[in-house]
Amino acid sequence: MTDDQKKTPLLISYALINRFHILDIHPEKSWVRNLLKQGFDIYMIDWGTPTSMDKYLDFDDYVNGYLDAHVEHVKNESSNEKISLQGYCTGATIATAYASLHPDSVKNYIATAPVIDGWRDTTVISNLAKHMDVDKMVEIIGNMPPEFMYYCFSVLKPFEQGIEKYVNFFRNIDNKRFVDNFLRVEKWLGDTPPIPGELFRQWIKDIYQDNLLIQNMMHIEGERVDLKKIDMPIFTQVAVGDHLVSPECSMPLHYAVGSEDKTLRMYPTGHVGMIASRLSQKRVLPELGRWLSDRS
Amino acid sequence: MQSEPPKEITDYYKHLALFWTDIIYLMSNKPQALASTGPMRAFAANSKKISAEMIEISQIMTEFNRHLAEYYKQLTETWATAQKKVNLKAPEIPQDIEQVDALKRIWIDIFDNDFTELFDSEKFGKNYGNLVSKELELTKHWNNITNVILQSANLPSKEEIDEAYKEIHSLKKRVGRLELHLKKRGMRKNAE
Repeated sequence: MTDDQKKTPLLISYALINRFHILDIHPEKSWVRNLLKQGFDIYMIDWGTPTSMDKYLDFDDYVNGYLDAHVEHVKNESSNEKISLQGYCTGATIATAYASLHPDSVKNYIATAPVIDGWRDTTVISNLAKHMDVDKMVEIIGNMPPEFMYYCFSVLKPFEQGIEKYVNFFRNIDNKRFVDNFLRVEKWLGDTPPIPGELFRQWIKDIYQDNLLIQNMMHIEGERVDLKKIDMPIFTQVAVGDHLVSPECSMPLHYAVGSEDKTLRMYPTGHVGMIASRLSQKRVLPELGRWLSDRS
Repeated sequence: MQSEPPKEITDYYKHLALFWTDIIYLMSNKPQALASTGPMRAFAANSKKISAEMIEISQIMTEFNRHLAEYYKQLTETWATAQKKVNLKAPEIPQDIEQVDALKRIWIDIFDNDFTELFDSEKFGKNYGNLVSKELELTKHWNNITNVILQSANLPSKEEIDEAYKEIHSLKKRVGRLELHLKKRGMRKNAE
């Protein structure tokens, strides 16, 4: 999309909730398109749809298995020794663990609304997670079912999201552009895959209940995830109005890593607004592009 | 919040029910053995397990209902408090053409604030955690009943299927690691 092609490609580790295509949901709000226009080669991970058979997939499978295999693929395709890595939401938790365990493969790391410090998280989700008997849940039902996640989403601003949003939709029913955009996002919201049981167990326990990651005490397949080992340039993006991952939960990453070249940016938007909105196109992505260009 | 029935009483009824299940099982075992000629013999022999699971289910149902009642009580109380706040605020809204919109905005803001406060509270988190936990226990007993039926039809139980899944996961992991290792070695060789 441009002649000014940057050398280092960017691999995006999307969240485990909903689907990766939010990053390319609409031509005018596309995260991917914007970065392609800025000259970055983009690769994105689709984590797929886990079935009952995948209930034993854990952090090790995602970090040292899937993500590592993707990084190797991108390195091979682009003939680079190192690549840029971006993690979004829970995908950033996985990418953070990866950057700590495989720092030699990551040239630049971008953490977008990362789930890091569970005890500081002030959202309703963290309150539910802290009181959850996750062992019982995984033992009895295996994977975390999407229906349960829909319940968790439904208690986030229930009246704004459950009433006002739809009133606004009917007000704009004649506005083709609005309806098109609304339906795209609505379809995305209603499509979340299950989360593999073992991965979910460790995520709830190590991040929300015991808060091991930020204390450098989380282990993946016996190896300690030490955030000080993240020594590459890091760019942390936080949304002030994030009601899924509060800024207090994400920001500690900036202070915990070992990198000397680190940047923290806060944006006046929400969790999804940061990646798929006019603000992301006008402010978040240009800033990210400039930061990446200087290091690619 | 509904008061919890004393533990002695629930234990008493549980033991009483189990006693009668045993008696019925003993009394019916012989005729069942004579009448059963095929694979349903296993089901007949395991029917006691189903009765025992049903007794456990009724006991858990009591606790589940208690937490469910508390869940709706918390929602109702929060609704009532929020509505009171809206009622107090309503007379302050100027009576013009934007009155309905302004009232709706206030209603949504107050309700969202109050409900978020509730969902964020320790009392809600704790009760909701217990409610889900009891629902899971009910599911577990339902799984146990299904297992009895599956085994009587000579089908693998959930545990046996899980064991196979675990084995497949372990094999896939090992093969994946080997493939990645070989790929990395190949790339290193090519680079040299």
